[in-house]
Amino acid sequence: MIAVMLDEEYDVVVVGAGFGGPVAAKKCADAGLSTLLLEKSGVPGEKVVSGLVIPMYGFLFGPEFIRKGNPPIERPICSVVNRLVKDGEVYDTDRSLTMPKPIALGYATYCKPFCTWLAEEAVEAGAELRTSTLAADVILENGRVKGVVTGEGKMIGAKIVIDAGGTQNTLSIKAGLREKFVAEAIELYMLWDMEMAKEDVDSVFGNSMEFFHAYPEERIGAPLGYGSTFYIFTYRDSIHPGLGQFLISEGKTPNLAKLLPEYFEHFTSTVTRWTRDIAPRIKRRRALMWDVCPIYAGLLPRTRQMPYYGDGMLIIGDAAGFEAAAFGDGVPNAWFSADIAADVAVASVSAGDYSAYFLSRYEELVRANPFIIHTISDTRRWNMRNLLKSRDMAELKRRVRDHWGIGAFRWGNMGGPVYRASMAMIKEKPSVLFEWLEMFQRYFRNWQTK
Amino acid sequence: MAKTFEKFPGVEWVEGAGEFIKIDTEKCTGCADCVRVCLAECYEIADKKARIVSLENCMECAACWYVCPEDAIDFNWPPGGTGFRSDWG
Repeated sequence: MIAVMLDEEYDVVVVGAGFGGPVAAKKCADAGLSTLLLEKSGVPGEKVVSGLVIPMYGFLFGPEFIRKGNPPIERPICSVVNRLVKDGEVYDTDRSLTMPKPIALGYATYCKPFCTWLAEEAVEAGAELRTSTLAADVILENGRVKGVVTGEGKMIGAKIVIDAGGTQNTLSIKAGLREKFVAEAIELYMLWDMEMAKEDVDSVFGNSMEFFHAYPEERIGAPLGYGSTFYIFTYRDSIHPGLGQFLISEGKTPNLAKLLPEYFEHFTSTVTRWTRDIAPRIKRRRALMWDVCPIYAGLLPRTRQMPYYGDGMLIIGDAAGFEAAAFGDGVPNAWFSADIAADVAVASVSAGDYSAYFLSRYEELVRANPFIIHTISDTRRWNMRNLLKSRDMAELKRRVRDHWGIGAFRWGNMGGPVYRASMAMIKEKPSVLFEWLEMFQRYFRNWQTK
Repeated sequence: MAKTFEKFPGVEWVEGAGEFIKIDTEKCTGCADCVRVCLAECYEIADKKARIVSLENCMECAACWYVCPEDAIDFNWPPGGTGFRSDWG
């Protein structure tokens, strides 16, 4: 037993004020636990890079305070437009996945204002937020996590550490619970923020976002062409075009430093949808950013089998590999896992038992959640990557519709989980139907009247 | 103090990040996978080993850390409040 001199002590220390951390911190604080939320950046969300459209199931089935609150939304996305490209021309457009306004498939948002809003909610509930503070290491006693060590060397004790450190998570590795993700499961994406007048985004895109699918020789999607797409996320008065590629494809590391910018330039100089409709309306390239995210972490046994809890520690969101292979968006899973982790942390503190045995309840509840395991085990995107090698255009069209179009709501895809989750919630509280409708209307109105 | 680079608009780096990525030259075989995935051109190969030219354009994506087959790259976050930041992510 190593005696550690602690500088401070909390019931729960949540590491990371991204999308999941503040949700866990708020719930712990609401339950009366002394809760510290640590964030390495100066302002929550300012190190997060993402073309982000948070899928609607996160809002419907996630934390109530988000559904009932007024988070900063850049654009409700009511339609996913899929375009198939050949010789620079769009030869087929699939608009099958379209919802009537104000019902949205998801909400586009910038990370910084959204994460800041979430963190403010946690603070409002009584959690303490400490920014510009890196959780550099864990305090370990006989293999049990007892707190964190900050970058300045401050020892902060915690009954439970909730690790919400995101993709490049090092804390749970230092705790001996996880390894870094394998490179085959990691996508490097590069995106641009471009200013465009709101009226122009409205007229060119409306409340839609666009994906462009093509064979590798078109050189518009991922350098190796296997399953990633060129995308345009639409915001209030800006757009986020971007593309990504896996760090390792077919056993090799492509020259992404050269290929990602090259493919972007090729897309923006040859695809007429861009050169004719979009480029003339762009006011300026405001930002260029990149980051990595786990996408197939749930499909690779080595990653899937890594634990997401241990003595004194619960791991949530991207840090636990809870991305969503089908959408490339882990925010709903970050919210669900944060919610579950907070419940387990509250029970654990109340029982005075912080052992892995007690915390294994977290894994049970994660497995019982209708979305988390389902979405990280989704193989459609993986299959698309193989399909592009098959050169069957009719099949490609069918699969695009089945994966990125209306087929996304087939029973075996998201239809079943959404139906089951809806039924469970309606059974528990029938008025939730009105809550959902009211949310769609309010979010849309907030966006229109901002 | 924060700086920006013309090549990367809309992005700032708050000073004080230091050398948060290190290479273990014993383990490095000079395969250059880190050079291939680094969009910030932080790496170069010199004498058959990877070398960090500069971390000043690093967006802390850690692609180099993930891809290194020899586990020769040690990635740590820069000190709290320093390094990459953007309003447009």
